[in-house]
Amino acid sequence: MFRPFEWQDLLPLLEGAWLTLQLCGVSGILGVIFGLILGIARTSPSRIARWISTIYISCVRGIPILVIIFFVFFGIPLLFPGLEPDKFSSAVIALTCFAAAYVAEIVRGSIEAVAKGQSEAADALGLDYWRKLRYVILPQAVKIMVPPGIGFLIGLVKDSSLVTVTGLLELTHAGNVVTNLTGDPIKTFLIVAAMYFVICYGISWLGRLYEKRTGIHVDPLKVPEPAGL
Amino acid sequence: MIFVENLHKKFGPVHVLKGVDCHIREREVVCVIGPSGSGKSTFLRCMNGLESISSGSIVINKHRLDDSKTNINLVRQEAGMVFQHFNLFPHLRVIENVMLAPLKVAKVSKEEARAKAEVLLAKVGLAAKMDVFPGSLSGGQMQRVAIARALAMDPKIMLFDEPTSALDPEIVGEVLTVMKDLASEGMTMVVVTHEMGFAREVADRVLFMDQGLIVEEGTPEEIFSSPRHARTQGFLSKVL
Repeated sequence: MFRPFEWQDLLPLLEGAWLTLQLCGVSGILGVIFGLILGIARTSPSRIARWISTIYISCVRGIPILVIIFFVFFGIPLLFPGLEPDKFSSAVIALTCFAAAYVAEIVRGSIEAVAKGQSEAADALGLDYWRKLRYVILPQAVKIMVPPGIGFLIGLVKDSSLVTVTGLLELTHAGNVVTNLTGDPIKTFLIVAAMYFVICYGISWLGRLYEKRTGIHVDPLKVPEPAGL
Repeated sequence: MIFVENLHKKFGPVHVLKGVDCHIREREVVCVIGPSGSGKSTFLRCMNGLESISSGSIVINKHRLDDSKTNINLVRQEAGMVFQHFNLFPHLRVIENVMLAPLKVAKVSKEEARAKAEVLLAKVGLAAKMDVFPGSLSGGQMQRVAIARALAMDPKIMLFDEPTSALDPEIVGEVLTVMKDLASEGMTMVVVTHEMGFAREVADRVLFMDQGLIVEEGTPEEIFSSPRHARTQGFLSKVL
């Protein structure tokens, strides 16, 4: 009943790769947006904001991503009757919840890595909290968060293979389907692996490009040499 | 202009300022000297709210710093500050460093902020460096930019926190020259410094601090030539 792997079997794999790209693109962007908000809240002067974001981040980071995926996929229709997100939407929701917590920690680390003197200088000029964040801290923090952020996005692409359990036809699931048709898991999953690799390599290439283009003049960690003693 | 009364500052169990009293008049140049750990930087930082006050009061231009209703950002616009490590914004060009507060805090127009920044940078001798990033400047140049940046908000008071301590000895002079010019224009200045020569030449009054208190104060002549207190004598004999 099996037939040999043929070129047309590439088509479902390509469609799966495209869906994986869309999935990671949407949840990556949403994750970065919510992660920024949470990360800023985590370092904010407001105790309530710090409290809420800390609880969220700790909870999500303490739960396996597969459990989050199952929880969203099965839980949302039960918790909100009438609301039946399709497979793609629930995958986006699950990955966004997951990504936001990790991005938030990267954002917090980057904000805290901007030298304390920068914050004091902004204070001394009379900039209020939001202006200080907007014009002094974040422009420097963004540059610090790019390398770990890129690393996290690559991880997100790989972790997205777990949504295969919901039946969404993303790259891993497409590989499974093609294997069932052809009975050739070696060829199929080598191609699947190659496609993941291309996506991940592409992201890290974009990251290096960004660093190269912005890394010319900014060195936020540079501390002036003290006078010779 | 500045009234400090019974100022106490504690960092946890460490009692850094133990009841500082002082009154600084308009157009006065006051240098604060003393050994490391005497509390002089903390004292200065309390004056623009970078450190909170544990008890006592500070009044700057009728703003009470110990009153939680006081808008600290208004006080900071009237009291410019220059730091030991300059703290220029590395992601902004020199002129953008100077323009930032006028643009975003005082909300003046871009043209006005730029014109003003050009004047100030020319005044500190750095008109040629307007469009470079701070990373390419020498320490002395960075500190002069920092002074221009602090002046951009037209402060009535300038606070200097060991402005030359991070500089190579041969370029200390260029920063002190700018500060002398400022003093001669009548700026009210409080300078925490280890530059005894500057204090002697420019200060109207010198405060000697030790162990969280102002131990002795007087004209430079009084402090440097005939210090009364044993701790002042001990300190000066080591540094002069």
